[in-house]
Amino acid sequence: MRRTLDTGNAAITEGAILAGCSLFAGYPITPATEIAENMSRRLPQVGGYYVQAEDELTALHICIGGSLGGLKTMTATSGPGFILYADPLGWALGSEIPLVVVNAQRVGPVSGITGAPGQGEFYMSRYPTQGGNYETIVLAPNSVQEAFSITVEAFYLAERFRMPVIILADQLVTDGWESLSIPETPAELEAMRLKVIPRRVKEGPEFYPCTDAIDIPPVVLGHNTGAACSDWTPTPEGYDTEEVDFQHQHAYRLIYKVRNNKDLITRYESYFMDDNPELILVAYGSPSRVVVSAVKQAREKGWKVGALRLISLWPFPDEIFKVPAKYLSVELNYDGQLVREVQRAMPAGSEVHFFGKCGELPTVAELEELMQALLAGKGIKARNWEWEAW
Amino acid sequence: MDYLATKYLRPRKIPSTACSGCGLGQAHKKVVMAIDELGLATGDVIWGTGIGCAGRQTFNTWKGDNFAGTHGRAYAIATGLRIALPPDKKIIMTVGDGDAFGIGFLHLLNCARRNVDMTVIVLDNLGYQSTGGQYGWTTPRGYRTDSSPYGMYEPNWTQDGRDVLNILREAGATFLARYTSLQGQEAVEAIKKAILNKGFSLVHMPYPCVTNFAERALGTRKPVEIYKWFMEHTCSMHEKGPADFAFRTGIYYDASNSRPEFAELVKGWVADIQRRYS
Repeated sequence: MRRTLDTGNAAITEGAILAGCSLFAGYPITPATEIAENMSRRLPQVGGYYVQAEDELTALHICIGGSLGGLKTMTATSGPGFILYADPLGWALGSEIPLVVVNAQRVGPVSGITGAPGQGEFYMSRYPTQGGNYETIVLAPNSVQEAFSITVEAFYLAERFRMPVIILADQLVTDGWESLSIPETPAELEAMRLKVIPRRVKEGPEFYPCTDAIDIPPVVLGHNTGAACSDWTPTPEGYDTEEVDFQHQHAYRLIYKVRNNKDLITRYESYFMDDNPELILVAYGSPSRVVVSAVKQAREKGWKVGALRLISLWPFPDEIFKVPAKYLSVELNYDGQLVREVQRAMPAGSEVHFFGKCGELPTVAELEELMQALLAGKGIKARNWEWEAW
Repeated sequence: MDYLATKYLRPRKIPSTACSGCGLGQAHKKVVMAIDELGLATGDVIWGTGIGCAGRQTFNTWKGDNFAGTHGRAYAIATGLRIALPPDKKIIMTVGDGDAFGIGFLHLLNCARRNVDMTVIVLDNLGYQSTGGQYGWTTPRGYRTDSSPYGMYEPNWTQDGRDVLNILREAGATFLARYTSLQGQEAVEAIKKAILNKGFSLVHMPYPCVTNFAERALGTRKPVEIYKWFMEHTCSMHEKGPADFAFRTGIYYDASNSRPEFAELVKGWVADIQRRYS
């Protein structure tokens, strides 16, 4: 095990290299630039390729091309670049191309503040492109160590589900420095419950069958299999078609390969959830660190509170919201994004509240005050922001 | 079916669904002829396409491996693919004028700058014909289209001393040519040279659209009229041609194999770094 002190950006780089990434294409953007910089330094050392693209559109298209040619590929950006991924990400989702996309979220609206954390692309990572009729896989680390392991996991899921996997980090996770342990032997890798699988190659010219099955090797060009990949509606042979029956088959595959294998994706942590807490805090990414601290302190005071920390965001883990309770979603935005899914997923008899911060984390003291008010049956006053609906 | 089609193309896609009289088949055939005359097999070529008439009609016609990129960005996909593929595999792309000279021009220029080994055949029907016939970036000035009902008024890429091939040459392309689909073996020979260049090659091939362009611009869908119009406006690179505009044809620039190819460059660079730091 190699123990070091480093940033989330470095952790993502090392995770990708361990997972077998051999092509990174990116465009500089704060706070994800260091992933590109680290990749430009590390990839050549292991025989991989770094390409600096003329824009984010190109970056992800180059990754698509590399993956189509059989390489494991990754790109990384922040919100203003993530929107430019819309075009290639649609292609990659529709053509079922395994690759990994990192979004180190910074605070908006729009280009916002480059060096401050935000959580504004929660829904955008669910619907990053046109057309609907697909599911996305989105993972959200909350520490440097987890940024490493989630990157390895993302490559693993990308290969199994033959699709792009999005890592939705935030500026505090990517820029933050923490201790990082990197496994160096297969045994150490296994001890961390991480798996790496090589790229497989689909045999034969036919495209994918109408199935929810995963572990079908992805199409790789250059092996003269007669394979074809496009953004059109494909027939089972890979021809483009305007026939709606084939569109149904295509949509079924994209939606249900994820939905019907959701248990392989869903990851979360629960804190003090065994005794049906009255109040449950929900968070992902860096604010979840404060949430967990605040809930632990509240328990010491005897308050009946719990926390759910989401690690996989999409497909949304509806099934973990079992307890009727007061839910408080803590996010790095003012518009309330995660809270809408919590409201939809929570069981009857629950109520939902929202607390948002932007560009900085909430404090334990702030959360304590909110918990106290909610446990006492009072409404919570808007903080920093006029917010009434939640 | 043509022996070339039997040898290289998929029976399901040939004949294509192009309008009758369309010049696309002539252009498509020239590419396949060039491949055949070079003695390449289906496994030697990965065929890429874009969107529009040129992209949609030629997608997955090749018996080997195929891809259709997003609109204008097949070149960026090909850049990644080039790095991943063995160097002896050829990437040949048939794309439209809107794809190459409009929405995808940034990517095209950067492929030329990097000298990425690919052969781009721009099948140019003088505008956006698959969406009904709007003007594009090579539509000659003054001609009517669905979106220039009073005549095309914008400067385009191929008039008034401008030539898109000139821009691509300055950007770093190593083989550039222009032939119309009506021209013969000389066009096939140029495509062969383009394929043999280990670097970025582009052949600009205007072809007649009888359905939309001819109907609006020339007032007739009779194929013979637009074919005649094409012949009248075709001249060599060194001639001035007709006063209104000309397809100035020939090999515009041949610097084949004179600059390092991108994928080779990056692979050599990586090998060098590994040697230095191992």
